Amino acid sequence: MSLGALRSLAEKGRLVSRFPTSLGAFVTGNSHWDTHSQSPLIEQRRGAKRWTPDLEWLEQFRGPVLYAQPGSPLASIRETPWNALEPPREPKQLRNCTINFGPQHPAAHGVLRLVMELDGEITRILNHILGITTHALDIGALTPFFWLFEEREKMMEFYERVSGARMHAAYVRPGGVSLDLPLGLMDDIWDWSSKYGQRLDEVEDLLTNNPIWRQRTIDIGVVSYEDALNFGMSGVMLRGSGIKWDLRKAQPYDAYDEMEFDIPIGKRGDCYDRYLIRMEEMRQSLRIIEQCLNKMPPGEVRTDDAKVSPPKRAEMKSSMEALIHHFKLYTEGYQVPPGTTYTAIEAPKGEFGVYLISDGTSRPYRCKIKAPGFAHLAALDQIGRNHMLADIVAIIGTLDIVFGEVDR
Amino acid sequence: MAGRLGLVGFRVGHLRSPAPLGPGLASSWSAYGHLLRPNETSRIPIRSNYKQVNPGDPSMAWKDMTDRGAERMFFVEICRGLGLTLAHLFKEPATINYPFEKGPLSPRFRGEHALRRYPSGEERCIACKLCEAICPAQAITIEAEERTDGSRRTTRYDIDMTKCIYCGFCQEACPVDAIVEGPNFEFSTETHEELMYNKEKLLNNGDKWEAEIAANLQADYLYR
Amino acid sequence: MSKLIGMDKLRNLLKSIKHAGGLRAAAYRLYRFNDLRWGQYVGEDKYGNKYYENKFFFMGRSRWVEYPPNVGTDYDASMVPAEWYGWLHYKTDNLPTKVPPVKYPWMLEHSPNTSGSNQAYFPYSTTRQKIEPWLPPHLRSQSGQA
Repeated sequence: MSLGALRSLAEKGRLVSRFPTSLGAFVTGNSHWDTHSQSPLIEQRRGAKRWTPDLEWLEQFRGPVLYAQPGSPLASIRETPWNALEPPREPKQLRNCTINFGPQHPAAHGVLRLVMELDGEITRILNHILGITTHALDIGALTPFFWLFEEREKMMEFYERVSGARMHAAYVRPGGVSLDLPLGLMDDIWDWSSKYGQRLDEVEDLLTNNPIWRQRTIDIGVVSYEDALNFGMSGVMLRGSGIKWDLRKAQPYDAYDEMEFDIPIGKRGDCYDRYLIRMEEMRQSLRIIEQCLNKMPPGEVRTDDAKVSPPKRAEMKSSMEALIHHFKLYTEGYQVPPGTTYTAIEAPKGEFGVYLISDGTSRPYRCKIKAPGFAHLAALDQIGRNHMLADIVAIIGTLDIVFGEVDR
Repeated sequence: MAGRLGLVGFRVGHLRSPAPLGPGLASSWSAYGHLLRPNETSRIPIRSNYKQVNPGDPSMAWKDMTDRGAERMFFVEICRGLGLTLAHLFKEPATINYPFEKGPLSPRFRGEHALRRYPSGEERCIACKLCEAICPAQAITIEAEERTDGSRRTTRYDIDMTKCIYCGFCQEACPVDAIVEGPNFEFSTETHEELMYNKEKLLNNGDKWEAEIAANLQADYLYR
Repeated sequence: MSKLIGMDKLRNLLKSIKHAGGLRAAAYRLYRFNDLRWGQYVGEDKYGNKYYENKFFFMGRSRWVEYPPNVGTDYDASMVPAEWYGWLHYKTDNLPTKVPPVKYPWMLEHSPNTSGSNQAYFPYSTTRQKIEPWLPPHLRSQSGQA
């Protein structure tokens, strides 16, 4: 339900509740039923509460969520959003409440972030390999699929060695990561990453200047930068249209502020630009991987705060206190102080965010996961207008949609 | 915080250097500035290197145009691509002849579940139900009773392997190393029912795979 | 010099045919294994699977198992027992013949995946029934209920 609808509902609720107080006072003499329902005949007796949105509470959400500073060129974009039901209002300062999940121990900080980031960049290459090669496969180029899936296999082996599973890693945990990197893994990643650039060159030789590839992708599925913003796109879709927006640069998380890398930006917003961006992002990821490997500090991989992360197994088996912590953590979990957070990262497909509301218990009051694919798929109708059917395949390929994510 | 800011220097030059891409997007950073957390605003302009990947419009000089035309006419790019694929024909294939050769696995691999026993043959599981509590897919069902000798043991330990997401939380939660995700991944079945494992099946798995499970735990114990 | 004119390839081929055991056996092997190669014999488990190694190939192809001849083409990947599993999957270089794995009397024999056969596992409840159906008194003695 949109905010506008909520607000009108609230106003209606207020009106209705105001109305009977004057009327009902002399009809029934009951001063309570006006808060329960609109009509005195329908009185709820089950003890269930009827929720009437509080106008004061809604006030804080008044106005657009994404907005530009006055005078900025972006301000002209949002003047008339394509689906605006009401004119944008004055921007309001949002107050973010940050919940600190991270390690308290400063020494553990660097390790954790670098491990996570190494993880992140390998995932990015995994994703882009899948994206580009299946895209090429859909368009009719079979060979890159075979070449790069060999590399993908090697990377999934790295994944398996560090976490125990080839895709569903379950490696990053509150307060750190589950296990330390095994010995020799970093050498192997180094070996692999020093060779992977050549594989990329081969694929680029095959595709980038290939006239068939260019005809199939150039000026296909053009997204203008206004549309890209209005559709709520993120990631490569946004950058392909020339918008300089990457959360790794805009609000650096993990250790991205210590890394040197470039963000590729497209110009035309067509499938070809998005393909070029993905290729370049893989190369930049190699740079980041190399820096991570060189800067990987020694230290603990998890916080030693037993209230957040479980103790080591040997400790758990010898110490009663650790065992109690272990039981508490695996049955009840840890309490999160009340508050809300929206934490977003730049996933390979776009902005991946988690909105959490905590009421102070160990379970979230609300958890909304914002995955990038839905907005991209929603734009397909608009992008795909006046294209051939075969071009839709190319467009879906560069939208980089996974339906499991859209259909969650 | 001050130390961190000192580490990452400002590069004001980069704010101006890239050519505006869309109409007037050069100052987009200032536009987004207030979306950031207060302590991060000062980090925005750092190394904000953006790289234009689109080569832009082709040159319209006569020589370049004829060059392009010739390349197009003689299928130069296509021939290059075909040559590249031809070269790959002579390279060693990376394919593994699967049922005979198998890919590398690590001791951490999370495969088919198994219930283990103590060396004496006594089953380890004490029905503490930590795995049932932590299981994010709620695939585990446990019922417990007192055995005739007075010890607490499970009477039912069912895992729906089609619900399981193989996250490995059960083996991390287990305080006695009873439930483990073993090394086996070759347990595909033809019907759905066969994947509803009960306690008997899980114990049999443990008895079959104990040699490998023990080796894995031994190999990785320093990390756990 | 011999490498230059491809003599080593020829030698490898002859070795592979010898490994298979003659021309006819090599043809059958090519049909059954889809591959013709030679390797060092490493060991054999009690189910008749033989294990070989040839370091010339890259990791992933350098160790392999040859299933016993009596299964013909009905071999299955799950026929490898737990003792050899780690070596075949490159987890360890220790051979179970050199470094014997743990052995307890309660451990079971290895069995391949039985799905699809009549020995396939079928789920059943391991607990007592919580609800017992009522039977009329004249049927109780027949069904063994008190």
